[in-house]
Amino acid sequence: MAGLAQHGVSRRSFLKFCTTLASAMALPPAAGLAMAEAMAAARRPSVIWLPFQECTGCTESITRSHSPTIESLIFNVISLDYQETLMAAAGHQAEEALHQAIKDNFGKYLLIVDGSVPLGMDGAYSTIGGKSNLETLKEVAKGAAAIVAMGSCAAFGGIPKANPNPTGAVSVSDIIKDKPIVNIPGCPPIPVVMTGVLAHYLTFGSLPELDKLGRPKAFYGETIHDRCYRRAFYDQGKFAKTFDDEGARNGWCLFELGCKGPVTYNACATTKWNGGTSWPVESGHGCLGCSEPDFWDAGSFYKALSMPANPLKTVAGAAVAGAAIGVAVSFVNRAKKSAAKAAHETTTLPDLEK
Amino acid sequence: MGLENFAEATDTTRDGLTGNATAVLHEVAELLVALAERGETGVIDLGGMPLSSADKAWLAERLGQGEVEMTLNLDGASEVRETAFHGVWWLVHHNEKGVLTGEFIETGTVPALVSAHPDDIRQAADKLGFLIDEL
Repeated sequence: MAGLAQHGVSRRSFLKFCTTLASAMALPPAAGLAMAEAMAAARRPSVIWLPFQECTGCTESITRSHSPTIESLIFNVISLDYQETLMAAAGHQAEEALHQAIKDNFGKYLLIVDGSVPLGMDGAYSTIGGKSNLETLKEVAKGAAAIVAMGSCAAFGGIPKANPNPTGAVSVSDIIKDKPIVNIPGCPPIPVVMTGVLAHYLTFGSLPELDKLGRPKAFYGETIHDRCYRRAFYDQGKFAKTFDDEGARNGWCLFELGCKGPVTYNACATTKWNGGTSWPVESGHGCLGCSEPDFWDAGSFYKALSMPANPLKTVAGAAVAGAAIGVAVSFVNRAKKSAAKAAHETTTLPDLEK
Repeated sequence: MGLENFAEATDTTRDGLTGNATAVLHEVAELLVALAERGETGVIDLGGMPLSSADKAWLAERLGQGEVEMTLNLDGASEVRETAFHGVWWLVHHNEKGVLTGEFIETGTVPALVSAHPDDIRQAADKLGFLIDEL
């Protein structure tokens, strides 16, 4: 606790934070006190954070978590032994820090992964210190007590996995099968979800309850639509038809403008973003569904869920209806595929080294 | 439209009461008995249940205003007030931007957030000792 105080976080501030965090996680209210006591105790478990095929947006998101700041969490509550973006060490020193952390805390450390793992070309699309992400993940996962797959890329493959998935990107759970994994999807994920999972792990020594996609139920238990403040307008059939019509100005439902809230499980509607300032729907834009698997390939962001998601699939479906139409349609599909192939040049390893 | 107004706008009952406030009041009564008889403290998370703003107002009116009212400056204001029933406290937390982050009813002699922690008291005693030594 003295460490937290040194960074300007008083015990009462920390207790307040833990109380509201317990509330956000739907834990019993008294759990806030237990969390504060447990996290203030000097356990400082080792955390190794591996960045793979990612954009650093997840790190940007978590470093903007507030009360307490990520800095105080890093320096006092956890021992962050490896995080390329935040650590001062580089090159061989950084790799040494990683290996030392693995050796000293084998079987006990928490592994956080952001980014997907490319399997194409023997993993050559993304390497750290001459090792492919696949090799590094397998090596570091061996000694982990649990793994947190942070962001949609680590959890489900994310944007790198989007069609045509040129790098052969897969998720962490596609590779690691023998460790407890918690998925925190989102592009990026909500900072408080990450803090909540860390707090739960530090307090209870276990991961929180997960849904069938490995997401913490406390934050991904309900759809955006279920908790949306515009839900009443959906029920009343009041929809914005364009982004600047009367409906949009009145704050009506964005379903017809492509909002994916009804099929997206996340906590944006309740936790909001940027310290509770706002969230996409409140800012007038529909939900993109970024915490769901393959959201990038789920059709246009601006087509209503009730409309066909993929025109190509629709015409392919129509082909079943009649042979004559079918021939024409399959010709169209073939032509599209040929055009796509012609436009795509395969990248080889020598190309990358040029 | 904010969430508070939304609850009112979509309320289907005439007076805005959902009936949940009565249930909360019963729970407060039970927690208070547990405090009086066994010294057990309790907390109710008002953000964790579907209460309309009318429900909250009804509950606040029934519990009334007591003698103690505090504002704690903890990365945003936290208001703590004792209700007309001794040992029943109403806590409202805001973040640095003034956004409501939590609302609780707590039963206890003093809310846990207000009490000084034994470790902090020990540290304070040392600190004050050093200060006197340096006089």
